[in-house]
Order: sequence, then structure tokens, then C-alpha cells
Amino acid sequence: MAIIEAPSTDQLALPGAVESDYKPAGVFTRPKAGGTGWKSWLTTVDHKKIGIMYGATALVFLLMGGFEAILIRVQLWSPRGTLLSANAYNQVFTMHGTTMVFLVVMPIGAAFANYLMPLQIGARDVAYPRINAYSYWMFLFGGVFLNTSWLLGGGADGGWFNYAPNNGVLYSPSHGIDFWNMGLLITGIASLAGAVNLIVTVLNMRAPGMSLMRMPIFTWMTLVTQFLLLFAIPVLTVAQVLLMMDRTFDANFFNVAKGANPLLWQHLFWIFGHPEVYLMILPAFGLVSDILPTFARKPIFGYPFIVFSGVAIGFMGWGVWAHHMFVSGIGPISVTAFSLTTMFIAVPTGVKILNWTATMWGGKLRFTTPMLFSIGLVTMFTIGGLSGVTHSVAPADTQQTDTYYIVAHFHYVLFGGAFFGFMAGFYFYWPKVFGYLLNEKLGKFNFWLMLLGFNLTFAPMHILGLQGMSRRIYTYDAGYGFDLWNKVATVGAFVLASSVFLFIFNIFYSRSKAKSLPPVGADPWDARTIEWMIPSPVPEYNFDPIPTVTRVDDFWYRKYGETKDGKLVRIAATEDVVQKLSDGKHIHLPSPSYWPIVSSFGMPIIAYGLIFNLWLCLIGGIIVVGGLYGWVLEPPDDPDAAHDDHEPEAHGSDDGTPVAAIAEGADSGAVATEKEPETVG
Amino acid sequence: MSRRSLGLRIFATIVFAVVVTLFAALIYSAFQNDGKPLDTFVPSGPSAQEIQNLVIPVFAIAGLVFVGVMGAVLLISWKFRSKDSDDPEEFPEQVHGRTGLEIGWTILPALILAGVAVGTVATIINLNKKEDNAIEVQVAGQQWWWQYKYDLNADGNFDGPEDITTANEMVVPAGRAIQVTTTSNDVIHSFWIPGLNGKRDAVPGLRSPLKLEADEPGVYRGQCTEYCGLSHANMRMLVRAIPASDFDAWVTNQLKGHAADPTEAKALAGKTTFKALCAQCHVIKGVNDEKMKTATVPLTSGVAPDLTHLMTRGTFAGSIFNLYDPVDPNDPSVTLPASDVAAAGDPGAALTGGTVNTARVNRVSLEAWLRNPNAVKPNYAQGGRGMPNLGLTEAQIDELVAYLETLN
Repeated sequence: MAIIEAPSTDQLALPGAVESDYKPAGVFTRPKAGGTGWKSWLTTVDHKKIGIMYGATALVFLLMGGFEAILIRVQLWSPRGTLLSANAYNQVFTMHGTTMVFLVVMPIGAAFANYLMPLQIGARDVAYPRINAYSYWMFLFGGVFLNTSWLLGGGADGGWFNYAPNNGVLYSPSHGIDFWNMGLLITGIASLAGAVNLIVTVLNMRAPGMSLMRMPIFTWMTLVTQFLLLFAIPVLTVAQVLLMMDRTFDANFFNVAKGANPLLWQHLFWIFGHPEVYLMILPAFGLVSDILPTFARKPIFGYPFIVFSGVAIGFMGWGVWAHHMFVSGIGPISVTAFSLTTMFIAVPTGVKILNWTATMWGGKLRFTTPMLFSIGLVTMFTIGGLSGVTHSVAPADTQQTDTYYIVAHFHYVLFGGAFFGFMAGFYFYWPKVFGYLLNEKLGKFNFWLMLLGFNLTFAPMHILGLQGMSRRIYTYDAGYGFDLWNKVATVGAFVLASSVFLFIFNIFYSRSKAKSLPPVGADPWDARTIEWMIPSPVPEYNFDPIPTVTRVDDFWYRKYGETKDGKLVRIAATEDVVQKLSDGKHIHLPSPSYWPIVSSFGMPIIAYGLIFNLWLCLIGGIIVVGGLYGWVLEPPDDPDAAHDDHEPEAHGSDDGTPVAAIAEGADSGAVATEKEPETVG
Repeated sequence: MSRRSLGLRIFATIVFAVVVTLFAALIYSAFQNDGKPLDTFVPSGPSAQEIQNLVIPVFAIAGLVFVGVMGAVLLISWKFRSKDSDDPEEFPEQVHGRTGLEIGWTILPALILAGVAVGTVATIINLNKKEDNAIEVQVAGQQWWWQYKYDLNADGNFDGPEDITTANEMVVPAGRAIQVTTTSNDVIHSFWIPGLNGKRDAVPGLRSPLKLEADEPGVYRGQCTEYCGLSHANMRMLVRAIPASDFDAWVTNQLKGHAADPTEAKALAGKTTFKALCAQCHVIKGVNDEKMKTATVPLTSGVAPDLTHLMTRGTFAGSIFNLYDPVDPNDPSVTLPASDVAAAGDPGAALTGGTVNTARVNRVSLEAWLRNPNAVKPNYAQGGRGMPNLGLTEAQIDELVAYLETLN
């Protein structure tokens, strides 16, 4: 698909109305561009709409995963809890982990990446807009498919790590694990397609002048994240295809009786699973690295160190997977090696923490809600990082692993780290995306309530684990000393849930209040990166014109100049620097398409077929292939919607860095020329 | 900006105070080890002690870094907060970074970690040293209980006539090293006695070593820690360390069988029921062990626990119920007795083959288990994993219990 879309603008961007009555597959006309109703969301290829859909879907899944978490906590409120049976509990904790990892944290990362990254690099859209839509629909259908297991015989009961041979039909005869397996295969395709798309976008579609080392840090972290996905997801896919063969077609990849080594699954899973951890946290690191300088009113401390420590984490993340297997019996040499690599991955992470701290040092800190959540990340992630170091010490880990100490650790990383970062991002970017600020006072209550609930829930788990409470147990007895802290954690879970509801309330409350408030304008926070120089909410065409970038924090230095001794002086009023809303008529945008949603819709049908009746696979296959067929025959541009400017341009770039227009290819068409040439120092 | 909101300030202060108090309470709680039989901070053997010696300094370093970073962030947040009186157009000094500092705080944590690494590697080496004269015990995980096989004559075979097979409780002599080999008959489990050593997964098809040694006689509790399906939570175990002389007596008794019929009529009837219903999966040496060697057992995982010396144990059904005490059978509120963790149902004289004190036997749990195992411990008998409901009559249950009580 990419091959067809990307390279040859000249041949595919057909002038005139030669094919304007073209109907792919003889039935559909191409959806009209520029719609606003609900139908426009189904066919959209706009990275912003897709980003919003990713975020909204992830928030719905967050409520589901959160509900599962509440069930877990209520069950563990006291010894011998009776809310859930053993079977139900095993399904609930499996689906809680799976949902939170694959359907909440990863897609929120994807939401920010989709929405923001093209804006941060001054692009019109991503490189392959239809593939972008396809990624989203695959994610949605995969997630929905996974959760339909609740209605079709029960959820997966193997844990999110789903170890062999417990994941085999013999030990888990219900269809839950089939749903888990194939649901994640589908969302895996979404991640993989998204990864290729976003990598190409970052590498090829930056605004003139935006060299790699001028990219905002969030864009950098997105790049690292997508590379991690690109290489990690296939490993999981391989493992899952093997498992699918085992479960559906009686293969023997994990059948110990036939000589399989069940550690194969663990290696494959964690070679995926550990980079997975970093690709969940790095987008949040990126957000915070852009937010802290904004509210400290000074640049990020050590930009290249922040960037390269992120890249280093990305590389080193591949060499630590077996620390999940210290007690698996992999032998003392492997244990020693992975113990050492794991310790030293703490170094680049520590560098980030110290650089954020140094960014705040000497600043004039404005404690807005995004800033509070960012500081929340710095502090709470530090706790998760330190407990991480304690179990890189392999002998210590033999006591800690598979206890609640680990549960505490990764919730401090993924909730205290990733999710606090996302909350910072939500509050920070809300005005950019939706055109109104979230209420600051409610936002701060939101922060403090979440901080309280988070610590009440997860801090006690450190002690529970160190005092011997095992993970994944649906019950425990009195007399083990687990009672008190389980009660505290359960109370905390309800506080945490209320803080999430406060956030949702704030969305609607602020939206209703915003009608009587003046518009937020392009730059409500006095921010630094170029996405803040375009109107809020962002017009469909993003930039008009595409700015030429001269340095890191380009937008900031359009407003302010820096003297030699580090003093900052305003050189231009914000109103004069930001872009005005234009009609965008002269800008060519990728046209919407039915095919991404159609062809991705066939995937879950194939998956149902593999579980219930192979004939369904045929139907699903026809839909997938038919969708792809229509997609292939569809001209990348809708000639009817074409605007006047169709000349492929030699887009001006003053320092030889990649040019936005070239790789945008046929989908995006040509980009308007820079109208205000900037002098570049 | 709503920085003046009093309500918000009060709320933030309360949250801050609660969180600080919570952390203090948790640290205090970490030192309260009584009544916590799985506490990892109470080493009772050399391996656990070795780990403890490494863990304490690591936690201390982590604690210092924690206090340092938290202190720094809070201090900076306070010191550099913007004030209402600030001129919004006046900016702090624009520092872009200092390479010297960056290199410094890259090297400093690396050095600290290098120190930790030295201790870690040394401990890994120590923990993997083989002990001379250790007793070889093969520990096999099974859904959802543990089987122990002692290779007492050290011939590498765990099933010889000189060897012992038992379940749920590992009896060891205090002060002597045990070389455990973990394996599994079905899915992956993990053998963990926190007082004696870290855990080791029991992986089907693999044999993994783990050293255990208890300094003093006592009961050391454990819990399966690798998720192993339905009743993972109910898969517990314990190590019962006894004086060396008692251990010899224990071994002598374990090597005996129970071929002779019980004298009491009720128990004899129970034996008949056992042979008719239970003997398909359970072994009693002298009763059906020879037959079991040739029978095809309809179980996914292999045989069920060896019952030859059931009454020498203090617990049953994956060590979740006490076989003795402390349940009061006259108390109707006790429907599902909690195992008394501290006492762990001491078998008393029966441990080494003495008479079973039938007055102390926990009949409530035992009968409930025989009546409908799935009701008191979820299992998957229809899939060949766990004990099925045999539909025993109350009379049969009574007779079976009478028979089981003779199995010292």
C-alpha cells in the first residue's frame, strides 16, 4: 500500500476530471472531504481526528480496565473475599492487565503521537493517511473483539503474560485465551502499521529547517517509541501465531509432552514485553520534557542528553528481557548477565530525572495543572525506577518477583509514570485540540485527588509484597498479616476512580463554561514548540504556511530573543507571531476513504471464524481482500476535491534538511509554498 | 490562575500530609514482622540470610536516592515558584545545559550501580554453590499441590525402595542443607519458602536447583508464586524443620507401608471405600502402590498426593487446611476453617510415626473436603486436574475419615 501511495506524485495526482466519476468496485463514490458529521469520522484520514478517536477509545477502555481493577480490589478487601469466584478473578486480572497495557496506555501514546507529532514537525498529515485510519480501526476492532469474550464464554484466564503451557487448550479449555490471542494479533497489526507510518512521517515530513536535533522532545520520543514497536510487535506476533497454531490446529510448539520447552514462550513474550514497557513510558517522558520548560520559563536542561538518554533506553531496552525470568531456571550465567544490563539501564533513566530537575532549577515555576502532573511523574516515576533497581539485583528479585512488590513497582512506572504524563498532556493540549481550557481549579483538585488515590492504592503493595503476598491470588487467609494494607489499597482504588471521574466531569464542565469565555487563542500557555503557533482548535490543514524552523523551541524564539548572557527579551507580540485562521482553500489535503474501515472490519470476523467456525474466515477474508482491492483501485487523491495548486514543488529548504512536501506523496498532494521566507541564522 | 484558592490549598496540604504519613507508616510496617509468616525480611536459613545481607544495603541506597530526589524536587518547587508580584515579562536565566554536570550525573549513578553489581554477582555465585552432603529432594509442582521425592540413598533415583514420596509438607532436619530440584508435572509453578531462600520456578521438562537450609526447627510457610491456573491462590506448602534425631525417626516411619488392615470396623469399611474410589489416583504404600505403577491414571498431571502417611502432616489439600486443630467443631459459625498459620496444625507424635491424636483431628475441614472438594478449593476435576466430587454418603465420609486417621 505504501508503495502505491508514497513515491510518485507526478503520475497519480491527476489533473482535471478524467476520473472524477470513478466508482471503486462500481458501487461507492469516494466520501466527500471536509465533512463534520459522525460519518466523516468513519472515513476520515485526518491525523487529528484519528488521534482524538484513539484517545476517546482509550478512555472508554480505561473505564473498563478501571472497573476490573475495582473488582480486584473489592475482592481483596478482606481475607476470603467472596465477590468473585477463582475463575472470575483470574479472568478479571488477566483482562485488567491486557486492557490497561494494550487498550489504554499504548493507544493514549498513539493518540498523542498521531495528533501532536505532525503538528510538532509542521506536517500536513502523516505519511500514509489511509494506513493511519486503518491502524485506528484495527485497534478499535481488535479491542472490541477482545472484550466480546465476556459475552461469548468468558475472558482470558492466563494472565496478560499468558505463560505456556498454561495457555494451552488442555489447561485453559475456554475460548478466553483465543480471544486474547487473536485480539492482540489484530491490535498488533494496528501498532505495526502505525509504527511504519509515524517513522516515515518523522523522518521525511519535517518542516524546512527542522533537523533531527531541532525536533521537540515528544517527537523524538515518538520516533524511539515507534522503532521499539516496529521491532517488538513482530516478536509477540510470532509467539501468538505459534500459540494460535497450538490452540486451533493442535500444533505442538508449546506442548511439553512432545518435547517443547515452555521457556520459549517466556523468551518471545519478554523480548516483546520489555521494550513494550519502554514504549509505554517514553511518550509520557516526551510530553513532560516539553511541558516542564514551558512552565519553568526556561529551556529544557541538556536537550541532547534528554534525547540521547531516550535513544539509549530504546537500545538498552532490548538487552534486559530475561530479568522477567530470574527464577525461571535460566542458569546463573544468564541471570548475572541480565542482572547487570538491567542495573545499567537505570543510568539513562536517572539522567532524564536529573535533567528534569535541573530544568526546574532556577526557573519561575508556574504550577498549572499540567505542571503539577509533570512533577507528579518525576517524583512517582522515581519511586518506580528505584524499586526497579532493587529487583535488577537478581538475588533480591528471587524474593520479590511475582509478589505485590512487583505490582507496586510497575504501577508506579505505568500509572505514576506514563499515566501522570498523559494527564499532564491532556490538560496541556486540551485547548489546542478542543479550543477550550480545562478548568484549572478542578484540574488541581484532580491532580491532588489522583496523587492521593494513587499512593493509597499502590504504595501499600510494596509492603504487602515484601511481606509475602503473592500476585494473582484471588484469596488470602487471615493470619498472614495482609489485612490492613489490602484495606488501605482498596480505599485508595476508590479514591483513584473518583479522580478519573473528576477528570471526565471537568471535560464537560469546562466545555459548558467555555461558551461564555473568550476563545483561548493559539498559545494559552506561552509555550515553546510550533504546534502552538497555529489556531486552536487546529484547522484541518494544520499550518498555513508551513513555518521554516531555525532552532529547538522555534516558536518560543519567534516571541523572545536571548541575549548573550542568557537574558530573555520579548521581540514580538504573540498575536503577531501566531498564524491566523485561513480558508485553507489552496491547500491540498488527503481525501477521506471508506476502505480502511471496511478492510479492517473483516479481521475480527476472521478471528471469530478461527474460534467458532472456519466458514466465517471466508466471509472475513472476502471483506479484507475486497477492502484492500477497493483501496488499491482508489486514486490516492479525489480529483473532485482537488484544489487549484497541483504542481509538485521543489520545496525551499535552506539548510538541506528533509523537506515536508516531498514524501507527503500522493495522498497529501502538494503543499503550499512558504509565503514568508524567514531569515535563518 | 486560581493559585489563591484556599480550599485547594487545604486539600493539597491534607493530601501531602496523608501521603507522607502513609509512607512513614509503610516503612514502620516493614519492620513489624510478627504474624507475617511469609515475610521476606525474616531470614531463617543461610541462603535467605545471604539475600538479606545484599538487600538491606540496596534498599538503603535506594532510600537515600529517593529522599534526595524527592527533597530536591520539593525544594526546587518551593524555592523557584513564581509569585504574583513577578513581572510576567521577566524571565529566569536561560540555561540550556552544562555538559560537565551531565557527564557527572551519568557517571555517578553508574558508579553506585557498579558497587551494587559487585555485591550482586558475589551473591549469585554464593547462592549457586553446591553443598556437600546435602539431601537431594525433587519438588514437583502440580495443579494445585506440591509433591516431594527424597533420594535418601543418593543414587540419583527418586523412586527407589529406599526413597520417600510425600506431599504438601517438606520435612527436613534443621541445620542440614537440602538440595532441591524443582520440576513440574503440568504447568509452571514456583516454589517459594521466603524464610529459607528466594523462589525457583517449577517448569515442566526442566530441572532447576535451589538450596534450602533451616537454621532452627520450625515451620516455614510458602506459597506458589507462578500463576498456575484456577486454584493458584490455594497452592501453598511448608517446610517443617525438625531436629536431626527426629528426622531419622521420621524417615524410618515414612519407609513403612500400611499393608495391614485396620482393626476398627469403621476404619476397615473406610479402607474398602478407599480401594473402590480413591485408589484410582491416590497411593497408599502397601495397599495399591504396586497396582498404581501399571494403572493408567486419568489425570492430566499425574497422580494425586501419596496418602501413606497422611496423618504425619499438619496440613492437606495444598496446605490450605489444617489436618489438626485449631478448629472448634462445635462452633457452627466455622463453616470453612481458616488454617491457623502460626501453629500449622502440629501433627504431634504422629509426625514420627506415633499415635494419631484423633481428638485433635480437624474433622470439619476434612469432611467438607471429602463431601465436595470443589466447594472448598476450586479445582478442575472434569479436566483431570483436582479432586472430583465422588458423591460420598455421610456414612462413607465417616468411615473414610476413620481409615485416614490410621495412616500415621
